[in-house]
Parts: sequence; structure tokens; C-alpha cells
Amino acid sequence: MNLPQPHARTEADQAVDVNLTVNGTEVALSLPARVTLSDALRDHLGLTGTHVGCEHGICGMCTVLVDGDAARACLLFAVQLDGAEITTVEGLGWPDELHPLQESFGRHHGLQCGFCTPGFLMSSYDLLTHEPEVQRDDLSTELSGVLCRCTGYRNIIDAVDDVAQAHRGALPGPGNCGQRTLVGRTSATTPAAVAAESDVEEEPTERPEEIELPAGAPTIHIDVTSQLASGPDEVAHVFGDIRLLARCLPGAELTDELGADWYRGRARIALGPMRMAFTGIAHIEEQTADRIVMRAQGKDTGGGAQARIVMSATAVEGGGTALRAEASVFLTGRIAGFGRSLAGDVSRRMFEEFARAVDRAAAGEEEPTAGTRPPGAISLLVATILDRVRAFVRRLTTRGAHRR
Amino acid sequence: MKAAPFAYVRPGTVADVVAELSQEGSKVIAGGQSLVPVLAMRLGRPAQLIDINAVRDLNGLALDRGALRVGATVRQRRMQREQIAAGVPLVRLALPWVGHREVRSRGTVCGSIAHADPSAELPAVAACLEATMVLTSQRGTRQVSAADFFTGALSTVAEPDELLSDVVFPVAKPGEGFGFGEFARRHGDFALAGVAVRVRTSEGSVDARLTCFGVSDVPVTVDVSQQLRAALEKTGSDPSRPDLQSALAAHTPGVAAVAVNTGGDSHASPGYRRRLISVLAAREVSRAYVSARLSESEERSR
Ligand SMILES: Cc1cc2nc3c(=O)[nH]c(=O)nc-3n(C[C@H](O)[C@H](O)[C@H](O)COP(=O)(O)OP(=O)(O)OC[C@H]3O[C@@H](n4cnc5c(N)ncnc54)[C@H](O)[C@@H]3O)c2cc1C
Ligand code: FES
Ligand code: FES
Repeated sequence: MNLPQPHARTEADQAVDVNLTVNGTEVALSLPARVTLSDALRDHLGLTGTHVGCEHGICGMCTVLVDGDAARACLLFAVQLDGAEITTVEGLGWPDELHPLQESFGRHHGLQCGFCTPGFLMSSYDLLTHEPEVQRDDLSTELSGVLCRCTGYRNIIDAVDDVAQAHRGALPGPGNCGQRTLVGRTSATTPAAVAAESDVEEEPTERPEEIELPAGAPTIHIDVTSQLASGPDEVAHVFGDIRLLARCLPGAELTDELGADWYRGRARIALGPMRMAFTGIAHIEEQTADRIVMRAQGKDTGGGAQARIVMSATAVEGGGTALRAEASVFLTGRIAGFGRSLAGDVSRRMFEEFARAVDRAAAGEEEPTAGTRPPGAISLLVATILDRVRAFVRRLTTRGAHRR
Repeated sequence: MKAAPFAYVRPGTVADVVAELSQEGSKVIAGGQSLVPVLAMRLGRPAQLIDINAVRDLNGLALDRGALRVGATVRQRRMQREQIAAGVPLVRLALPWVGHREVRSRGTVCGSIAHADPSAELPAVAACLEATMVLTSQRGTRQVSAADFFTGALSTVAEPDELLSDVVFPVAKPGEGFGFGEFARRHGDFALAGVAVRVRTSEGSVDARLTCFGVSDVPVTVDVSQQLRAALEKTGSDPSRPDLQSALAAHTPGVAAVAVNTGGDSHASPGYRRRLISVLAAREVSRAYVSARLSESEERSR
């Protein structure tokens, strides 16, 4: 067992340094000793999957794993956990590949409002890993550390029992742990409340060796191909001019050239009431007449983003160019919670706007987009919603067709 | 529901812990499972918390001359897991009743005893087994027997500058049997009433010790050897557990009348608690006796 290192006395108005591993990401925090683990996770690291109910140990909403054992995050001061490994519900699985417990809760309707679900998932994960032979009759006692106001518990017990029987002694581990950038909303006021990849300071003076992408699956994956009227040669001209290319990116602004294909920039996005302003860096890894590969990372007070983007242009028979953009985007913090699918839709829209701008730039237009203007909030959202409505109507009509 | 600010220190040695403890307004934090709610509700505002979890010397769980020495940072769940702790079966019987798994992951054995909640299980176990508390301060070390340790609700003989560095439980001997039971509204809640029992049998002689909790401001220990002997006179020396329980039931109401001295609260009246103790005592003393006889015969056949 790892003991924490001793720590010198810290006055009540000072911050204490603490190093944790959260869902596979090493984080270094500096916070007042009275901040609980639940607040540190939610406010300082943006991991709001850990819920907070009573804040005094009764309800179990805040249950997380500490060194593999379930514990109440509201009853731990984060500073006590130096060197500990924390797993939260975010680490358990991800939407396209849920942990068997998450899948089972869904299948058995083990949740209504869902407020207690992270607590039940972490508590039952702990139970099934440490007591794999647990019998159904014992589940109500064993799961008594978490309260539910909605379900009446029966479906929760069904869900856990199902997984217990299916995976006796061999419950899969947390499926979504790896290196991430974690950013919370208090990071601005608390010094060093950033993850290991703290290279991304507000205005980095030095560029990093490389932009490291988190392990695991991206939050969103985009693959859009747009048809451009311009020919491959004209598109090659845009691909050869990074400044021009940047102007085609909606809301983006190139602020500094750092040399050796490194750039610093800003990207602003406005969506409904949300305003995000990312500052960050980008590295062009490959730049040819028909292909550009780049990595970028940025952060906003609402969260962080990292991406690998591949753009390729191919000639289309009969004239014009097909511009394909593939991007793996990793989001963290509040923006990640903003809805994976909506974020995906919005990003796709942005690439389509980008493609149109590239087309205009290739055709020789001076100002392909109004560089620093955030992409029209309304137009983006309206287009996204229109897409949704169309898809929905399509689904309705095809279902109708089946019935007939 | 946030704790008021406090100074924080995490010493690496017992000497540093007790030096810090001698400062006015200092409190030890072990598992925090009782302390943090108190701080969150601002029922307590210590000036400084001394986190003892970095002290290697306090993390020991070892056999020591027929006794199990449990260091101050040994968590309840570790005590449930490690084979060495099986030498003190009564602790293992009681632990599943202490809060929930999630609470036992962090809560310590010593912290529960230092906290001295009148409804807590482990103080009663310590009292029943006549465990020894080791108190350490800058003035030195002293040992206090469990019978003298608890002085009232959430109160012990430990001075503010003293650390409960270890609790020493005697390891069970052949011919000893144990019982533990409690009644709470929901599993994991503090008990309305509960009992811990140790029975010793040896060549026809029996002695039985019953410790009740949740019924007074401290654990209450009663010698029930006489009641057990009276019941055995009816049933013979090798009764089935249900038969012995029925025979004991004639005697336990009298025991409960003595043991329960709480004024009652909104959760349960004194009368209800007496009935609970009476039933639990008959059930657990009979269980302890049967397992003591089994242990005795196993020893003999060895
Ligand atoms: C939901 C919930 C349910 C619970 N149910 C039960 C239950 O059914 N039964 C039960 O017994 N307990 C219950 N508890 C309390 C739990 O068992 C605590 O773990 C235990 O009482 C305290 O241990 P700790 O290590 O967490 O101590 P802490 O909370 O760290 O400390 C408690 C107090 O003891 C002092 N202290 C701790 N260690 C030492 C030491 N070594 N020397 C001197 N002073 C020390 C502290 O200064 C503090 O005043 C429950 C808690 C919760 C949150
Ligand atoms: S919020 Fe932690 S137990 Fe209720
Ligand atoms: S689903 Fe609503 S509290 Fe459990």
C-alpha cells in the first residue's frame, strides 16, 4: 500500500499541493485543505459526473474509487489523497462502449432521473470486483450505501445482479482511462489547477516538443467531404499558405508564428448563450499540395480541446475538388458535457463552412471569411437543428414505411 | 456544507504527530468518516488538522504476544480483508455492521474507538474483549483498558494532546466463541441497540460476557455467566442453538433492564431498546456458546 508523503504545515489561508491520478490522468492541484475530493473533481477538474447530494456522507451520490476501493468523495479532503488513484464514473466507459454495468443499468431501467447513477455504478463496480461471488439476496444490503429517490431499487438490483452473474470474477476494468486534459471552472482563480499537460498556459512562451493526444477514443470524430468548384491546383495554392488557410477556419485567428511549423492562435465559438474563446497552439506535421496533417490543442475556461486533423484534396472527375476533413477531437471540462452529438454536429458544420471558405480562397477572393468573427451562432445552430429535424422526419417516415 | 478553513499538516512520524497535537486547537484526522461531517456542518472548527496517514509506524497490523495490534491508520476494510485479523473473530463479525463498504474503505478501527459514539460497534467490541488502548503524547505512552477508556458520549480518557496510536485486541483462544448482532432501521445506520458477546468454555465451566451498545452513553458490559449456566441446566451442555436461545430468553429481560439506561430518543423508547437487547442477547449468547463448544471439541480432537 502506498502511503502519502509527509507534508509541512500549511496555514488555513494557503493552498496545499496534491498530486493525483484521475482516470489515468496525472493531475497536480494546489488547493485549500478544506476542499473535498468531490469539489476538486467537479470544480477544479471539470469532472461533474461525480454528483454531490448531502455533502456529509449520507447519500452516496459522490461515490468514487480511491485506489480501487469505493469511497465517499465528499468525506475526503483532496489534499489527503496525495499519490492516490481516483476513478470516477467518467473513467468507467464512454458512450460508444459502455461498461457492462452502465449498459445493464440502461437495459434494466435502473435509473429514472439518473442523479444517483454515478454513485450506484461506482459502488457496484467496487462490490463486484472485490466480492465477485455476491448473491442477489445480499445486494440490497451491499448497495445500501447509495440512496435512490426514484427507482425503488428493484431495477438497480436487477441490473447489478445481471452483471454479477455474467462476469463472476472477471468484471472488465474501467474502459475510459488515459491521459486527458482536465480543466475546471475554478482553474482561473486557483493556481495550477491544470492537468499534467500544463503546457497550455494562457500564453505559452515556449512551444512543447509535441502535442500529445489523450489515449482512448476521441469525444467526437468527424469525417466530412465537401465538393469544391475550384480545381486541385487552386486548392493546392491555399494548402500552401497557412495564413490563408487559417483565415478560412471559422472564428479562428492566427496570432503568432513560432517557427518550425508551430503556430499560436485563437478560436472563438458562439453558440446560443455560450461564448467560448480557445487559445492554443497548432503544429503542422505534414504539408503537401493535397494533404495537410495537423495537431492542435487549446483551452477555454469552460474546458479543453485537443485534435488531430487531416485534410486532403482529390481531383474530381469532370472538374472541381473533393475536400475531405477528418478530425479526432478530444474535449474535456464543461464543453465535453455540452452534448457529444451536438458538439459533433457543430464541428461538422464548421468544417463545411471551412470548405466553402477554402473554395472562395482558391478562387482568389481576398477575404474568404471575416477571420476573427465568431461563426454565426444563429446560422450554425439553425443549420444544426434543421439537420436534426430532417433526420427525425426521415426516421419517422421510414418507420411508417416499415409498418405498412 | 463546506468546512471552515483550517491549517493542515501531514507529519511522517509519531513524534511529529504528537508535537503538533500539543498545539492548541489541533485535531487528528484519520479516515475522516466521522470528522468531516462534523466539520461540514460546522459543528466543529479545529484550527489545525493533523493528517496521520503518512506515518508508516501507525499503519501496522501485526500479532504481538497473543494479541493483535492495530495501528491508528488501519482501515476497517483492511481489517476485514487481511487473514491476520481473523484471529479476532468478534471484530470480523462486527465490521460488516459499521456503516457501509464505502465508509469502511476509509474509516479506521482506532478512529471509531477514539470517536466513541455510543451507538458504534467497535467500542463495544473493544469493551467485550477487554482490549487495551495505547495512548501516546509528548509526555510518553500509557495503556488504558477498554473498561476505563470510554467516559461518556463521544468522550474518552484520552487527553486532547494524546494520540490513540494502537488498539490491542486479544487473539481468540480455543474454547472461545463469539456473537454479534444489532438492530438498525436501515443497514449501515447507527444501531438502535446491539450486542457483542464472548463465551468461554473449558471442561464444563462456562463464562459469558455481554456488551450492549446504543443503550447508554458508553458500552455497557454485563457478566451473564450465571444466566447462561441456568439456561444450560435446562437444556444440557450440548443444546441446539434454538433450544438454548429459548432457555436464555427467560433470563435476558432481566439483563436488558440493567443494561439499558438511555432516556430514549425519537428513534426508540427505552422500553423498545430493552426488548431489542433481550432478544439479541438470547440469540447471540446462544450462538457464541455453540461456537465455543465447537472450538473446544476441535481443539480436543487435534
Ligand atoms: C454514512 C455513515 C454511516 C456510518 N455508520 C456507522 C456505523 O453504523 N457504526 C459506526 O461505528 N460508525 C459509523 N460511521 C462512522 C465511521 O465508522 C467512522 O469511520 C469512524 O467512526 C471514525 O473513524 P475515522 O478513521 O473515519 O475517524 P475520523 O473521522 O478521522 O476521526 C473521528 C474522531 O476521532 C479522532 N481520532 C481519529 N483517530 C484518532 C487517533 N488515532 N487518536 C486520537 N484521536 C483520533 C478525530 O480527531 C475525530 O475527532 C458512519 C459514518 C458514515 C459517514
Ligand atoms: S454527497 Fe457524499 S454522501 Fe452525499
Ligand atoms: S434515479 Fe433518481 S435518484 Fe436514483
